[in-house]
Amino acid sequence: MATNQGVNRPPLEGEAPGELRSEEMILNMGPQHPSTHGVLRLVLTLEGETVVDCTPVIGYLHRGIEKILENRTVMAGIRYMDNADYLSPMLNETAYVGAVEQLMGIEPPRRAQYIRLITNELQRIASHLVAIGTYLLDLGAFTPILWTFRDREGILSLFEALGGSRFNVNYMRVGGVLHDFPKGWLQQCEAWCNQFEKNLQELETLITGNEIFEARTQGVGYVDPQQAIAYGLTGPMLRASGVNWDLRVNRPYMAYREIKVNPQVRQEGDCYARYRVRMQEMAESLRLVRVAMDQLPGGPISTRTPIALRPPRGETYFAIESSKGELGIYFISDGSEYPWRAKIRGPSFVNLQILPELLRGHKMSDVVAILGSLDIVLGEVDR
Amino acid sequence: MSGGVVLAEVWWEQLLHGILSWEFLQFVVAFASIFGFVMTSAVILILAERKVMAWMQDRYGPLHTGPWGLLQTVADVGKLLLKEDIHAGKIDKAVFILAPSVFLAPVIASFAVLPFSPYISLPGAPLATGIVYLIAMSSLDVVGVIMAGWGSNNKYALIGGLRSAAQMISYELPLVLSLVSVIMLTSILRDSGIGTIAIKDIMNFQMAQNWPGKGNPVWDFIFEGFTPWAWFILVQPLLVVIYYTCGLAETNRSPFDLPEAESELVAGYLTEYSGMRWALFFLGEYGNMTIVSAITAMLFLGGWSGPGVAFLTAPGMAIGWQVLGNLLALFYFILKIYLLCGVFIWVRTTLPRLRADQLMQFAWLILIPTTLVNIVLTGALYLVLNALGASNLVFLIVLGVVNWLMLFGFFWVVSRATTASTRRAMAPAIRARQRLAALTAAPSAPRLPEPERTGVTGAGATSGR
Repeated sequence: MATNQGVNRPPLEGEAPGELRSEEMILNMGPQHPSTHGVLRLVLTLEGETVVDCTPVIGYLHRGIEKILENRTVMAGIRYMDNADYLSPMLNETAYVGAVEQLMGIEPPRRAQYIRLITNELQRIASHLVAIGTYLLDLGAFTPILWTFRDREGILSLFEALGGSRFNVNYMRVGGVLHDFPKGWLQQCEAWCNQFEKNLQELETLITGNEIFEARTQGVGYVDPQQAIAYGLTGPMLRASGVNWDLRVNRPYMAYREIKVNPQVRQEGDCYARYRVRMQEMAESLRLVRVAMDQLPGGPISTRTPIALRPPRGETYFAIESSKGELGIYFISDGSEYPWRAKIRGPSFVNLQILPELLRGHKMSDVVAILGSLDIVLGEVDR
Repeated sequence: MSGGVVLAEVWWEQLLHGILSWEFLQFVVAFASIFGFVMTSAVILILAERKVMAWMQDRYGPLHTGPWGLLQTVADVGKLLLKEDIHAGKIDKAVFILAPSVFLAPVIASFAVLPFSPYISLPGAPLATGIVYLIAMSSLDVVGVIMAGWGSNNKYALIGGLRSAAQMISYELPLVLSLVSVIMLTSILRDSGIGTIAIKDIMNFQMAQNWPGKGNPVWDFIFEGFTPWAWFILVQPLLVVIYYTCGLAETNRSPFDLPEAESELVAGYLTEYSGMRWALFFLGEYGNMTIVSAITAMLFLGGWSGPGVAFLTAPGMAIGWQVLGNLLALFYFILKIYLLCGVFIWVRTTLPRLRADQLMQFAWLILIPTTLVNIVLTGALYLVLNALGASNLVFLIVLGVVNWLMLFGFFWVVSRATTASTRRAMAPAIRARQRLAALTAAPSAPRLPEPERTGVTGAGATSGR
């Protein structure tokens, strides 16, 4: 289109001489593009501003994490799980150690389970904060991302106090967790919760009910429940389409067997519903953190497990409800210190598959609106 | 042969005389001062924008260059001047290089007709067709944007340029129509019945001749030439909102910043630009912001009027007081401009951006009808009240009340319309999915044949939404 062909170009196929006809334009979006959330590449076919077709190209962030896991001992592999979905490392670690524990038949002490729940829910809030902030940035609002990152910083500081590292915490261990809460951590967490409750309300006021935001998201990227199930969507994507499925409720694991989760479901199935589900889940996670801190039992934080861990021969599948959906680890052990195979079922990867289906027929501006609402992390898609 | 030589000599002599003349010097000084003003204003505005946005977003903003980061934009300008001017391959070189100038020139030209205080003004300020000239200049901007979009040989830039063209042309109409009512007001207020489109004259209409405590020097000092109850914003608040909204769209500011929507189009028509050429576009954008704010201040907020201005600059005052009064006027005027620019910044931090089709819908289905209705209403009200024998004051009060009611009605309509259009937009997507689901049980339905697909999913219905 933008080439300087002028009027002297040869006639197109099926075009009479002298007749003007419009062509479809192929637009390459990414892998370096402000709003493809990392290095996703979308090859869009445009008819004017309308998307006719879309081909996602992935693999630009492939680091071979599954292969790396095979070459590390089980305990050493936990650290690499942090890098899969780099926005929710705690959840990744929980899934990995949960799989190993399931294979070995270890039940972590109750206190460890509660600590895991608290950190997992904080991590879920952190991940949703990034999702909502970047989503609003995609839609052209500058402020929410800075507000959400401010609150996320608080969570990262809490993790730093806990595991010594802000981002790749490396905190979970097979049979428990690395450290108990340091002195004053619970008060700090409580203070953060109180502050976040206010900030969340502020964020709601800023975004929800904004007419431009509603006009941009309502009715855009509709997924009906059958389609959502058929594509294997999980997490907020699925629950926004009206399917009440939450592994914390339907397949409860660890402390979720004791603490009841209210799954957040909405019926609209569009981008707005997905945004609302994430907002509601943050409030719900905040409640869970508080409940867990109230009911926090005493006792040891870990079972006695050797560092050189040898899971028995066998295979298992263990899945948790990550911030983006069902995060499953398919773990095969040959009885050695190294996993024979550790397959990650990344929710981002599965949720991304519906993208071309959703984009067809929408405007070009809706591409970012829909892509942002999927909340994918390319680190998990490519692994 | 000799005739040709004589003609050439005459021509050169005339040119030489023209260049060395007093008028030419005037224009050179005018250009230099405008460019200086636009440049300084842009530097201040960019810094103010970054600082204000930072405060609203719970962060510090620029902090390290100079005290409180005050020199940040100065350093940025220095950097931009020194940066390499990169030309991508296969660009349309002439168009690409010319585009920033074509974008900036009308902005600078716009300032020629703006008076800054009772005595400080440029040679073009007495132009009787002030508003028409300003509108013409602001329409010319779009040429530079399209040139940039086309010349860049970049798909993102092209889409940005075309979006911008559509947007600027659409919003030009309500912008002009919203000013028509102001001109109608002036024609009603003037005894001769002939209105004015000169900016300074319109401003003078907002200075009432009577004020409380007339004759008392203190009250005279405050209220002479400063009568906020006579400002047109009270009579026509709806038009201020509409004019300002259109101004946002004209200057490509959020929430209408689609042409340079960074999340979709990388940087729109600016994508391929770097260094000073890029800075020229930015300069133009901020100059545009200043122009829109200045016109709003002039037409609706009493221009430079403020306490003391008219008192000090009244004929018969000593020259020192005259100078002080002019400086005071300049201060009030620029204060009003920057406060209005502050609203630009405020809007930018608050709102997400609209979609291209919603943008067009807003202009053509809401703004243009509203302004047209307002024009008809203003005229009809005047005719009715005039026939009843009411005075101009009664007319203004009635018009003001009606307009304030219309303002709230406008907000209500806008909120309803966005909801309705959202529902309409929602419908085809849902219907398409349902039909696809009915057609094939498989979730990944194959693409339907060409004509049906466009019908089902709404593809190609660029104007239908």
